Amino acid sequence: MIGKALSSDFLKIRRKGIWFLVFLGSVGLLAMQALNFGLRYDYLTDRYKADLWKGLIGEIFSFVPIALYLGATLISSQIANVEHQNNSWKQLLALPISRASVFTAKVLLGFIAMGVACLILSAGTVVLGILLKFGTDDIPYLTILKLSFLPYLGALPMLALQLWLSLTLKNQALPITLGITAAIASMFAANYPEFIPLSWPFLSFISEAKPALPVGAGIILAFVVYMVGMGHFRGKDVN
Amino acid sequence: MRELVIETKDLNKKYRGRYAVRNLNLEIGRGEIYGFLGPNGAGKTTTIRMLLGLIRPTMGSIHIFGKDLRKEKLNILRKVGSLVEYPSNYGHLTAVQNLEAVRRILDVPKSRIDEVLSIVSLTKDAKRPVKGYSLGMKQRLGIATALLGNPELLILDEPTNGLDPEGIHEIRELIRSMPQQHGITVLVSSHLLSEVEQMAGTVGIIREGELVFQDTISNLQQQASGGFRLVVSEPAEALQLIRGQGYAGRLEDGGLRLDQLSDPEVALLVKRLVDHNHAIYRVEEKRRTLEDIFMQVIEQGGLS
Repeated sequence: MIGKALSSDFLKIRRKGIWFLVFLGSVGLLAMQALNFGLRYDYLTDRYKADLWKGLIGEIFSFVPIALYLGATLISSQIANVEHQNNSWKQLLALPISRASVFTAKVLLGFIAMGVACLILSAGTVVLGILLKFGTDDIPYLTILKLSFLPYLGALPMLALQLWLSLTLKNQALPITLGITAAIASMFAANYPEFIPLSWPFLSFISEAKPALPVGAGIILAFVVYMVGMGHFRGKDVN
Repeated sequence: MRELVIETKDLNKKYRGRYAVRNLNLEIGRGEIYGFLGPNGAGKTTTIRMLLGLIRPTMGSIHIFGKDLRKEKLNILRKVGSLVEYPSNYGHLTAVQNLEAVRRILDVPKSRIDEVLSIVSLTKDAKRPVKGYSLGMKQRLGIATALLGNPELLILDEPTNGLDPEGIHEIRELIRSMPQQHGITVLVSSHLLSEVEQMAGTVGIIREGELVFQDTISNLQQQASGGFRLVVSEPAEALQLIRGQGYAGRLEDGGLRLDQLSDPEVALLVKRLVDHNHAIYRVEEKRRTLEDIFMQVIEQGGLS
């Protein structure tokens, strides 16, 4: 049932700008660094001469948490808007499919879209590093994967929350405001105690020694938020 | 005995202390076109949303195809097609893509898309984005979507709302053909009696959340007799005579207005008047239009 709903959702988001957003977010981050390194190549390569790849990864990472929060906010809102804009909730939910499946399919869609963005970021980082002539001998593939996917797991609770709010509220002003506020607040994550979820995307990559804590907490909290959101969605009156 | 497709028992929906639907007992038989009538805001859409499981009743039960909606919602919805109020198509997709999005959930063969498009005569425009459609075309696409899963029951909420006369005609013909050609039971809501009486066999009238009339159209029409009008040479004296016979009546527009009478009573009354040398110019039955009855039901909450 979830598979059917998901396949229907993939069709419905065509020409809705979701894939464009996925592309823009990931490639945008890379373009910023291309510019950064392009403009002050000598200065930066000198600064990171010990490990050029590590330098590039560090520069990219400083924008990963904020990009994840913004991406989660905008993609959730776009996914929900497909139904809100066309007043099609009533048509969709009167079909022989459980609300749990409908909700889960949309959550999975958001999860996949964000995952694709992370994949593009990882692949693009490798390409960017090679273009910047950082050498192909010792490309740190694993670290590059961790660069996008560990913070993503840390940001999952926000994705779950954004999907819940966007899917149940017709007016998207609240979830978007919340998402942008969180994105900005996440820039100061280094100063937050580690039990604050906003610090998890940052900590999951930076505390390389023990990423299990923020990552594990992110997955668990995201699942809890998803369950609560689904409970709300299932019992809701559809007008 | 007729087989009931929809049966609600004491259905209630309360919003913030106010009843939108109150003690509603709908009975809709198989193969019927049931006209669900009432002014705007009477509770039609609320009822239909409850029938489709979109909102939960505060109290009462709904049985469709003899099954409890609470327990077997998905099994019931598999055999129900619906169109609730204004169209809810995906504007950025074409008609075919819209139907495909629903088909993937219903799991019916792909050929069904072409079939329903031809039923609503949209084959020609099927590859255009729906946002460029006229309201009538969107509404027809809505009906096509409702028909996609080969439903046994079609629930249409105000399907002709906002359409031009031609569009209304098309939709009406489409609905009328459903029971004969496809064996589908239809529940169609409207706030216009004139529209429903041209397609429905049975009507339910809802007013302020309560069902105030539920019977066949022909029974409704039988109630339409509104008494007689007599035009005679000396109305005032004639009225006294009539009252002397034990009938109620009053002077109106230079004639006499009498309540509903049986044929022998009319014959007897005319004979008495002639015996008393009244010249009788006219005996007319005053038929009320269905619209009058409808308005009476809506205003008073029942037939007198």
